Formats: sequence, structure tokens, C-alpha cells
Amino acid sequence: MSDQPGPKGLSHAAVLDWLTRFAATVRSVEPELTALDQKAGDGDFGANLVTGMDGVRRALEALVASTGNGRRGPDVPLDAAARVFLDDVGGTSGPLFGLLFQELADALGMAADPPGTAALALGTAAGAAAIQRVGEAEVGDKTMVDALVPAARALASCAPTADPAHALHVAAVAAHRGARATTDLRARRGRASYTGDHARGVPDPGALAVALLFASAHAELTSLSRLPVS
Amino acid sequence: MPQYFRDSPESLVPDALAGFAAAHADLVAYHPDHGYFRTRHTAPTRRVGLVSGGGSGHEPLHSGFLGTGMLDAACPGRIFASPHNRQIFEASRAVAGPDGVLHIVKNYTGDRINFGIAAERLAHEGIHCARVLIDDDLATDSDDIAVGRRGTGATLIVEKILGAAADEGRGLEDLAALGTEVTRRSRSLAVASAAHTTPASGAPAFALPDNVLEFGVGIHGERAEGTTPHAPLGKLVETMTDQLLAALPDTAGTRVLALVNGLGSITSLELYGIRHAVAKALDDRGVGLDRSLTGTFVSALDMRGFSLTLFATDAEALRLWDAPARTPAWPL
Repeated sequence: MSDQPGPKGLSHAAVLDWLTRFAATVRSVEPELTALDQKAGDGDFGANLVTGMDGVRRALEALVASTGNGRRGPDVPLDAAARVFLDDVGGTSGPLFGLLFQELADALGMAADPPGTAALALGTAAGAAAIQRVGEAEVGDKTMVDALVPAARALASCAPTADPAHALHVAAVAAHRGARATTDLRARRGRASYTGDHARGVPDPGALAVALLFASAHAELTSLSRLPVS
Repeated sequence: MPQYFRDSPESLVPDALAGFAAAHADLVAYHPDHGYFRTRHTAPTRRVGLVSGGGSGHEPLHSGFLGTGMLDAACPGRIFASPHNRQIFEASRAVAGPDGVLHIVKNYTGDRINFGIAAERLAHEGIHCARVLIDDDLATDSDDIAVGRRGTGATLIVEKILGAAADEGRGLEDLAALGTEVTRRSRSLAVASAAHTTPASGAPAFALPDNVLEFGVGIHGERAEGTTPHAPLGKLVETMTDQLLAALPDTAGTRVLALVNGLGSITSLELYGIRHAVAKALDDRGVGLDRSLTGTFVSALDMRGFSLTLFATDAEALRLWDAPARTPAWPL
């Protein structure tokens, strides 16, 4: 069996590693995110995201230390991330990320074991819907929604039985395209909307962060699926 | 240059919250871990918790109106900044009744988003939540302003009327509809002769030439779109009254409630003079003045100005307005 791919589902460990990789990624690109937000927003987005993911990393370490790695659902680390972002992160985009984590945790927690592409699609769509209800942004307003909605659509377009690594690859590509497409837009929501044409030529940092979240997941699952499974 | 009495810019809000909690310990309790106030006394008939909040610097709004007949919880943010969604979420969870919780939200982007995130979290926990959005400011009534009218003085009227209605045991959707209707029938307009002092710098938020009024200011020191020469008070109030009456729905045969509100550093002497001018302007136009309230209720730090709110009343609204309330700042 050692050459067979793992089960087409997300384990607790995979989600733990996904969030850890995302934390490392946002830390390494924080200067770029901050530079973008200084051009078109109020400059605190990168710092808020890094602070949030540092908090998540501490919460995940505590989770692992208290219970070990095994026999826990993949929703547990996402739920921890949701609580950190909703409770402790300032600004508005941080807590909006918290809503996405909360909906992903719900969908993965309620799915059959192990949850796969269908649960990811459900959770991402619910997260996008919650963020749109709260922020009232549509695609094209130059916000995180410009990456999140295409990611949700991409996941929904995959067969429910598709390999989650493949589905997340499709979602990451769609989110990245959506984020790049914000470059030429004039912002209609969020702090950048007050800067008028100054935001033109600058991609939205929130949309880029969403693209990085899915890219981190895809990278993590791809590397995991290469591991021998006993 | 005017200076605030405080230890440091950072201590202004936390010291005030501690002082307010101690001064009114018989009526309100402060929860420092989550940063909200709640009333100590609630009518047993109440089925919906009423939660409001917003930036600090608008005192006595909102904490001053916690108590029987008005709010169950209030979430103070930093100066002129929305409260965090966690404050709103925890306050709502603490005071939710069997029929849920109603958020009374002034129309500003930050408040809408933070109350919205709290509402999503409440829904996630199975707690029913609805919202009344206050958007009464006539100065921001323009198709060019995509975010809509700001919320100002009508907030106090909504908090009073909904408080009385909630005490009658009304349900969530009923209260939300009532609050929306009170807002629909309310308009406000504010003028200032001097800006507020920015707490961090000690400097005025903006400079005004002598003998000029800023006409249509907001409660966060936002400048108005235009200025007007410093006319005699009667003339100024007539202009404001005409604009407000024209903007109210169903003005034919209207009877109104008037809120004459100081924005921070205007004197009672002036406010009662304004009250006198408003009554005369309404009388000259054949509009009945059913009730009025004069004082500083929705302030903008030490802005030197006043707002005028007119609410087109009916018998039901007057009955709820007249119901007793006991809070730190309700004057009747």
C-alpha cells in the first residue's frame, strides 16, 4: 500500500500543517503586504494578519501540547484560528478572516470522516457569504471578496469526490487570478475606497492574503500526498 | 489652546469608563474583560436584549442610557472608533432574552461591520439577532454618498422608544420594525462655530474663520460640505427647521418631537435659547410641538455646536416616549 495516495480527505494534522504554513508565509511576505496597504489603505493590514497568525500558531502549539496530534477532527485547528481572529485581531479584515475560518471549521466538523472537497466547498462558500453579508462587498469592489468568491466557485465546480489537493490547487489558481485582477480596479469598499484613484495599480492586500491561504493549503496537501502512507 | 483634563491621551477613555462605573454602580456594571457595560435592572417582561454602542467621545451616549426602560448593554469603542466585534458579541450574549437581541447601530462603516461580525457569531451560537440602522443626518442625504446618511441624534429617540416597547414584552422583529419606522420619521442637522479638540494633539480638528458656521457637521469632527455666515439664531434655526420639515415623510399636518442637542462645549444658556427659537419656528409653520428634550446627549468631544432632530410623532410613539426610564443620563 505504500505507493498508494492517502485517503481523499483532510486530517487534523493536514489542517494543522496548512495553518502553520500559512502563518510562515504571511510572516515572510508581511513587508510586501504592508507596502501595498500603505499605498492604498491605512497600512495596518500586514501587521494585523501576522499578529493574528502568530496568535493562531501559539494556539495550535497549545492544542498539540495538550492533546497530542491524533484522534482530533480537522475542524479543531480551524476553530482555534477563528477564535483568535474574531476575538483578538483589530481592524475589520482580520475578524472577517475569522468568519471564514469559523465557517470552514463548521463544514469540516459536520462532514463525514475524513472531510474532503465537498466540505471544503461548502465551508468556503459559507465563509464568502458571511463576509459579504457583513462587509456588503461584491466582486469588483477591490476587497478580499475578489479572491474568495472565485475560490469558492472553483471548489464548487470540482466533483465532490475529487481529491482535495487537486480542488485546492484549482481554488488557489482562481483566488490568485482574482487577486491580480484587483490591480486595475478603483476600491469601492474598505479603507482603500477613501483613496480614490490612488488605489489603482495596487492589488488588494486582503485578496492576495486569501490567495496565499489557498496556496498554502494546496502546497501542504501536495507535500503530504507524496508521503508514504502505511 | 484648549486642553483636556486627563493624565494622558491614552488614559482619557479607560479612566472615564472606570469613573462612570463607580459613579453609577447602583445602575450599571462594567465588564472589563470584554469591555462592555450592562444594566443591573431589567424589566422581567423584557424578551429582547437591547444593545447599542459606538465610539467614545459622544457621552452620555450610549452608556448613559443603560437601565430600566432603555438599553441592556452598551459597548464603548476608543475615541470616535467602533467597538470591537468581541465587545458586541459578549455583551449581546450576556443580555440576550428568550427572543434574542436587537442591535441599535449608527450608520458608519466600522460600526456596521463590527456589529455585523458580532451578529454572524451570535447566529453561529443560535442566538437570534436583528438590527436597527440609524441614518437620520440630513447633511449626508445625497445620491453621491454611497454609504448613505450618517446616524446622529435620532439614536437617542430610538433607544428611548424601543426601550419602552421592549419592556412591554414585544418580540424581536416587532421591535426592529418599530425602530426602523422611528428612524424613517426622524431627521437631524448640526452646525458648529468651532471644531472639537483632537485628544492626541491638543489642536482643533479644523479651523474656521470668524463669523462663519460649519453647516452640516458630523459627530466625529467631520467638516460639513459648506459654511454659512453667522446669522442671528432665529434665522439659523428657521433655515434648519425648513430643511428638516421638508425632508420628513408625511409632513402634512405633522406633529413633531424636537431634540435640541449640544455637541460638547455649548452652554445650557444657548441650548435653551435654541429650544425657544425652534418652538417659534415650528409654530410659525403650523407644526405642533408634542414633546422636546434639551441638553447634551449625543456629543462630539468638545465641539462647539448643536444638532436639531425632528421626529414626526404619533400617539403610540408619544406613549412609549412618556414611559418611565431610570438610567444615569435620561433626564425625564
